[in-house]
Amino acid sequence: MSEIVMEAVNVEKVLGNGPAQIRALKGVSLSLRGGELTLLMGPSGSGKTTLLSILGCMLTPTEGTVRVRGDSIDGKGPEELAKLRRENIGYVFQSYHLFPTLSATDNVRLALDVRAESGRDAKARAREALARVGLAQKTANYPKQLSGGEQQRVAIARAVVGEPSVILADEPTAALDSENGKAIMGILAGIAKDPKRGVLVVTHDPRLVPYADRIVHIEDGNIVNEEVRNNSRSLREMLGKA
Amino acid sequence: MPLVFTLAFRNLFHDRLRLIATVIGIVFSIVLVMVQMGLYFGFGRMVTTMIDNASADLWVMPKGTKCFEDPSLLDARQRNRALSVPGVAEAIPVVIGFADWRTPSGSSTPVFVVGSDLRSGGLEPWNLVEGRLESLSTPNSVAVDKTYFDRLGIKGLGARAEIRQQAVRVAAVTDGIRSFTTTPYVFMDVDRARSYTGVPSSKATYFLIKLDNGSNLDAVRANLQSTLGADVEVLKPSEFRERSRQFWLFGTGAGAALFAGAILGIIVGTVIVAQTLYSSTKDHINEFATLRAMGSSRSYIYKVIIWQAILNAVIGFGLAALVGAAVVRATAASALPIVITPELSVGLFVLTVVMCIISAIAAIMKVTRIDPAQVFTR
Repeated sequence: MSEIVMEAVNVEKVLGNGPAQIRALKGVSLSLRGGELTLLMGPSGSGKTTLLSILGCMLTPTEGTVRVRGDSIDGKGPEELAKLRRENIGYVFQSYHLFPTLSATDNVRLALDVRAESGRDAKARAREALARVGLAQKTANYPKQLSGGEQQRVAIARAVVGEPSVILADEPTAALDSENGKAIMGILAGIAKDPKRGVLVVTHDPRLVPYADRIVHIEDGNIVNEEVRNNSRSLREMLGKA
Repeated sequence: MPLVFTLAFRNLFHDRLRLIATVIGIVFSIVLVMVQMGLYFGFGRMVTTMIDNASADLWVMPKGTKCFEDPSLLDARQRNRALSVPGVAEAIPVVIGFADWRTPSGSSTPVFVVGSDLRSGGLEPWNLVEGRLESLSTPNSVAVDKTYFDRLGIKGLGARAEIRQQAVRVAAVTDGIRSFTTTPYVFMDVDRARSYTGVPSSKATYFLIKLDNGSNLDAVRANLQSTLGADVEVLKPSEFRERSRQFWLFGTGAGAALFAGAILGIIVGTVIVAQTLYSSTKDHINEFATLRAMGSSRSYIYKVIIWQAILNAVIGFGLAALVGAAVVRATAASALPIVITPELSVGLFVLTVVMCIISAIAAIMKVTRIDPAQVFTR
């Protein structure tokens, strides 16, 4: 069995104060393993984004803990959490969050620059990451010169360039058409082939199910179902070869 | 080029209208500070112009003399006492005072008489452009600056006028000896100055002391002070210069007014830059939140903002320096030229950078409160 790269243990999260207080997560436990693509599915307001924020070490749980490669976030301050993020986690956002004033290469290079990795080597690695997502010819383009699908590829290249243990993707295909959505999922599935890396994709799009190794359903702040899909590996491998 | 610099540069140039507004604000602020400080230095230089151009190792003056223009008088007998002090080679009397210059047409204007023993070369007119210094030894001869020809109602060398109902003939003309009081200086021999100002022959305003070669300045000064008594002061030129500056700049409030203007400029500049940097940061807040989500340290984001501030400063200062150079050129021939020294330029550049960095504090406080999780909701 592959290694657990990230886990949430009995995570509870209370948001707001007083009468407006909401228990967004009610004791959620979840493990992400290297070499697996996990889909986190659920309706709006089910706690997906809150769980993603906690797994991404951007929010701290009210109760319970999160461990990233065995390292608990308990007691860590904002700067320590930032260090944990930059060293272990790559993010892909629904609306890409690229920097409009930077080229594709510089957008990717930024993920290395925040880790104090700069210079020619960083530039080469950024270009290599862009080549891996099929954008070798568009490294100098700015986000506005790229289609939505291409922008999301840049975002994926930015997420993976630092070789993180975990990729967290928030609705990565929601803003894309079907073809681009498939292409993006293909790339994410390919990334998840690496046994040292786990990929979590938050979605409510059932068309992504064939790409998943594991599907976790969340509703009303609880994980209501977790399904392991052995047959998906062949699909990922097929995509990987492609 | 470091990526953090590239990001700062692009953020800044992304919104050109805002950049222009910021730069105009900085230029306005720095030019204001530059002019005020330039006036301060120009004024500081003008008020000591006579001291700077006098040939003296020490100045002997009545106790409590505040500045060169102070008309208090010394007893002329002190000169012999001064000459008796070992190491003193010369004690040149200088007489100054205000007088009325009457033109041949009958109009009059106040002038500032500066009389010195011209044979000893104590305080002679400099920058002569017409006539000769020696000709000032002839009766009624004076030297005036060509800047004041109109004020004095004369056309040039050889012109005639009256001071205290006594004839005056312009025997030499200088260029660039201007008075910050706008009252023209009129140079002449010391005896003539006494007669034009009504100072008796038993009095003088200053004695300019020249030392024998190899004399110890401090020792002679101490000896002079004890010999001449408590009613007089013996100052080095640097001390008299500083005292004159202190009097005119701070004793009269002129310096304080110039400083107040400079501080106003700094405040205006800081507020303008702070406002635009803050709004730029607010516009780019999603990008900063993304950086934070990607795990960047706060200091990385601060660097982006501070680079923006420094770029603002460099661009703003560059343009302000051009405007400043034009102002210096335009005022060079005026009664009170704006003087921008290399030290002032460096100081202003440092001030601009510091001002812009201080302005970045509000923006930095804004990004300090960024919630990285907001990237999932926008």
